[in-house]
Amino acid sequence: MSMYLLSAHDISALVTELQASYDVYGPQVEPQTKQVFFDQLASAEALDLAAPIPSMPVKEILFPQMERILKYKYDAQSQSVELSKQYFERPKVLFGLRPCDLSGILVLDRFFLGQEFVDDVYLTHRRQCLLISNTCLHPFPQCFCVCTHSGPDADEGFDLDLTQLKDGILVRVGSEKGQALADAHQWSVASAAHAAEFKAVVERSIDLFPELATDNKAWVAKVMNRITTGFVKPETWEYIGDQCFECGACSFVCPTCSCFNIEDSATACGECERLRMRDSCSFEGYARMAGDHNPRQPVEDRRNKRFFCKLSYPQSKKYLRPGCVGCGRCQWVCPGDIGLPNVVQYIRREITGGQN
Amino acid sequence: MANCHGNHEHGNCKTTGLCPIVTFPEVVNIDEIRDEIPEVKTFYLSFPNKDVEREFRIKSGQFIMCTVFGAGEFAVSLPPSPENDRFHISVRAVGKVTNALHALKPGDKLGVRGPFGNGFPFEDIKGKNIIYVAGGIGLIPLRSSIVHALQHREDFGRIILLYGARSSQDLMYQPDIKEWQQNAGFETFITIDKPEAGWNGEVGYVNQLIEKAKVPVDNSVAFVCGPPVMFNSVIGEFLKRGMSEDAIISTLERQMKCGIGKCQHCAVGRTLVCTDGPVYTYRQIKTLGEQI
Ligand SMILES: Cc1cc2nc3c(=O)[nH]c(=O)nc-3n(C[C@H](O)[C@H](O)[C@H](O)COP(=O)(O)OP(=O)(O)OC[C@H]3O[C@@H](n4cnc5c(N)ncnc54)[C@H](O)[C@@H]3O)c2cc1C
Ligand code: SF4
Ligand code: SF4
Ligand code: SF4
Ligand code: FES
Repeated sequence: MSMYLLSAHDISALVTELQASYDVYGPQVEPQTKQVFFDQLASAEALDLAAPIPSMPVKEILFPQMERILKYKYDAQSQSVELSKQYFERPKVLFGLRPCDLSGILVLDRFFLGQEFVDDVYLTHRRQCLLISNTCLHPFPQCFCVCTHSGPDADEGFDLDLTQLKDGILVRVGSEKGQALADAHQWSVASAAHAAEFKAVVERSIDLFPELATDNKAWVAKVMNRITTGFVKPETWEYIGDQCFECGACSFVCPTCSCFNIEDSATACGECERLRMRDSCSFEGYARMAGDHNPRQPVEDRRNKRFFCKLSYPQSKKYLRPGCVGCGRCQWVCPGDIGLPNVVQYIRREITGGQN
Repeated sequence: MANCHGNHEHGNCKTTGLCPIVTFPEVVNIDEIRDEIPEVKTFYLSFPNKDVEREFRIKSGQFIMCTVFGAGEFAVSLPPSPENDRFHISVRAVGKVTNALHALKPGDKLGVRGPFGNGFPFEDIKGKNIIYVAGGIGLIPLRSSIVHALQHREDFGRIILLYGARSSQDLMYQPDIKEWQQNAGFETFITIDKPEAGWNGEVGYVNQLIEKAKVPVDNSVAFVCGPPVMFNSVIGEFLKRGMSEDAIISTLERQMKCGIGKCQHCAVGRTLVCTDGPVYTYRQIKTLGEQI
């Protein structure tokens, strides 16, 4: 893997240059609220590579909360219909992805593009995307990517990867597209000392993870085992299900949750649009059929579905990794106490009889 | 022009060369509407685009996603045989979209995506006896396989249909049934729940026909579709007679939004009904760990 060393000024220049042919998105801090959003950059100055993990996952750009995929107009008089496709391709750069969010995109890629069918809508957003990741020099509260092997540094899937070192920003190249950019700019090649410093920076970051995270490391694999084989006691699922308010927040903030709903709705001008919007398996109506037949009534059935999605072997076969990328956002937003790290804890307690 | 709109990136395009209509619905015309039984109508359809029509090939047991313009999309089984049959669907009006469909007239247009789903086995069951067991509108998903098997009569052993409905008014596909009853190679047993004036067929529940028909269990497969109560009693009867759990085949119904394994609404246990199903063996259904 080739490595280069860039200055902060080189990075700004790169952003500005890319903006000529791409929509460039990156982390930026909202001045009033200090919230971090991963959004389209108005200019290179708006980019803040030191900003903490954004509160919403980057999937918003590739798999929006709600999008129109189709428009049609039916004329009952002439019995004719006009249909038009509503999703379009736009080249994008995702600049400064946290490694967990990058892993989240890889999970969505494998799910939407790698199964029996290819999802045309996702593919259209994803084609012509440049992914530039950004090593975390220290974890943020709730981070536990060390348990799920998705941070604090990226090891696959990026075109370019950035790490802040003492002398400048280390750029690691991860793809031909990334290499083409490096060659076109004749960036200065990084030394062996820089490569060693990169290793040390990552080691230091790993040492800074909170105890809960490092302590849970081996347990994630054990819990996956239990969930896959169905060895988690019904009481434990009930304990977990009892704390779910069915708000859906965990699904909306999770970089790897991909469920959606489709609905046709009339617009003011006699047209109809087909909307595709994110959905959550925690909602009671999720599996309900006509005549109010609901095969998945109890809330713990629906909760156990989410954790099965995140932590089980059949699911990781689809993703080529666990479904959880350790960003900790669900822990952040859950009004109950059943963010993913806590669920690991509860199952762990069950296994050890409350010892640990 | 391929029905997958040219990208050939989907599993079916690669494995079978048959490209389904995946995302962008293809327009079909309603040629004719027939009242089937109370609340159920059959819609005969055709594609104005003849290229699409030529490439639109189905397997028994598959389904399509059907758009009623202005109302939405719903999943519906394909009752026609894959060979030499008219393209049609039979729909019960139960809610928003299906009621909107029932309000349409011949000449109105619908949208179609698909066909989707695994379908019933056909090649694997050659040489065996086939027992079809249907309750009420459970005959809709079985019709395709029945007609297809009869078109290849010499490939199978005995072919038996056990069909039950609440009353003689509730029997689906009556013209077909009349024809089937004339067919010497097809043993049909039709029953209604209660006696009726003018009815000289069987009376009682479908599971009681199993005894009557002297259903063979060796070298046989059973296709069972109907309401859960019927399903359970029929399965119980077959198992008691020593039929293998792998030889009992049924279809599952779940809420469906995409039909292509992405929205996850149809998840049952570890499988997705739209891509892993809707056809399952009883052994698989048993291990899904969810209600039918
Ligand atoms: C594989 C498959 C094959 C089917 N074949 C047939 C058939 O041949 N004939 C027939 O009459 N019906 C069939 N159904 C059931 C049919 O899809 C539902 O009756 C229909 O979706 C109800 O929609 P609605 O908007 O009228 O009802 P509403 O109650 O208004 O439904 C609201 C929403 O719930 C969903 N929904 C409700 N019930 C079901 C259901 N049973 N299955 C899936 N989604 C549901 C729909 O997506 C709908 O948008 C089939 C279902 C599946 C999954
Ligand atoms: S979870 Fe890991 S990769 Fe994600 S922001 Fe935290 S430290 Fe970085
Ligand atoms: S399950 Fe929770 S911690 Fe894991 S990726 Fe999703 S939001 Fe992040
Ligand atoms: S955030 Fe918590 S309470 Fe809300 S749906 Fe998710 S698990 Fe349930
Ligand atoms: S219908 Fe969307 S996944 Fe099955």
